[in-house]
Amino acid sequence: MVHRAWFPLRLLSALTLIGTVVALFNASHNIAHAQISLIGQSGFPSMIRVAIRENNMSGEPDPRGRIIYVSTVNFDQYCRDVIPNEWFPSWHPASLESGAIAVKMFAWYHHLHPVTVGGFTFDVDNTVNFQTYKAFSDQDATDRAYYRTRPLAFVQPSGEIFELNYRAGYENSPNWQYRNSQKMSQWGTQFLASQGRDFLQILQFYYVGRSLVQIPGVGKG
Amino acid sequence: MRLVRLQGKRLALPLCTAFALFSLSLVTTSSALAASGNSAPDTNQSVPKPTPAPRHDPPRGSSGYDPVVPGQKYGDLRVKVIDGRTLKPLPDAEVVVLETEQRFRTGKDGLTPWIKAPVLRSARFRFLVNELHGQLNLISYKNGYRDSVHMGVRMNEGATTRTTIWQYKIEPGLDRRVEPVLFIEPYHRLWLIQLADRFRRPTQLGEGYEHP
Repeated sequence: MVHRAWFPLRLLSALTLIGTVVALFNASHNIAHAQISLIGQSGFPSMIRVAIRENNMSGEPDPRGRIIYVSTVNFDQYCRDVIPNEWFPSWHPASLESGAIAVKMFAWYHHLHPVTVGGFTFDVDNTVNFQTYKAFSDQDATDRAYYRTRPLAFVQPSGEIFELNYRAGYENSPNWQYRNSQKMSQWGTQFLASQGRDFLQILQFYYVGRSLVQIPGVGKG
Repeated sequence: MRLVRLQGKRLALPLCTAFALFSLSLVTTSSALAASGNSAPDTNQSVPKPTPAPRHDPPRGSSGYDPVVPGQKYGDLRVKVIDGRTLKPLPDAEVVVLETEQRFRTGKDGLTPWIKAPVLRSARFRFLVNELHGQLNLISYKNGYRDSVHMGVRMNEGATTRTTIWQYKIEPGLDRRVEPVLFIEPYHRLWLIQLADRFRRPTQLGEGYEHP
């Protein structure tokens, strides 16, 4: 008798538990959808929050070092101060242009997906954890590449902004192993550019199935 | 047998004395030669001694020294000097390019004129992994400011390079020991990756070869 009396209660609690799990799943599913940012819906960033990490003993920013402060930097200036530290200013213009788009899209994606570490909320840090950033390090050749490609974005066919990641790769090679690994080979961009490919062909070589689109309301200036 | 031994002893003493005298004479001869400035005896007295080439110290800086060497690769460099605390441009600072001993003054915007600067790569790594960029060293001086030594400015052939030097104002009371400030521009990360991969052993992979 006692067991029969408790049965509806147990059934009720079990149903409640299942309902909670389903609700949580739906909520997380909705959050995942909410994090997708489409080109044109999210405006072009004007600023970016850069976490400055402490230096190691030789005076270079330590990727695992303590965050000292978060600097709010003009987005264009940030990209300009990253490109010469990631690409070589003496490289082919098409290589620099593909690099400029990768640096910009990487920064844009992380601007839309900030993180909080050690009480600091930021978009990127100044080390190779994200992209190597050094204030006042922009160069003429890389600045030109950045402003030539500033109105352009390389996105998913749906218009979704995604992270254009990259790695060094190897010299004098197209670096086939990087193709469609969601990472572009930096040395590969220089190789392909020297073979006569333009920046769009280089991007399409590494990020298969993506689209180049115009960013609404963004000019070259 | 005894006679032979005695004769041997009698012979050994004068032989040792003669050898000692001979070796002494050699020592005195070589030391005398060294003192006279010749390492070997002069066998041909008729040949005149080679006179050392007159040594001319290279002319320096503003004294007509031309830093442009034929065959040397060059890039264009422009230096900006700013106040390290206010980040405002510093006019009238003197920037010296150490490798060429050239001196330049900054204008109101803190900029030097465009400098034709050599692209010098370190010979240390030439046969290992060729350096991807040259390096230059600069010093900036300005009255009332700490000297700033800026090392390792990355130079590329035929390309323009801009660099910024921070100078810090000397504040009496706060600055008790005034010495130059050093900035070292690091090697480019792409070159460091190549260098590490160059010496990596398959049995000691470390972080492993560069991969996607």
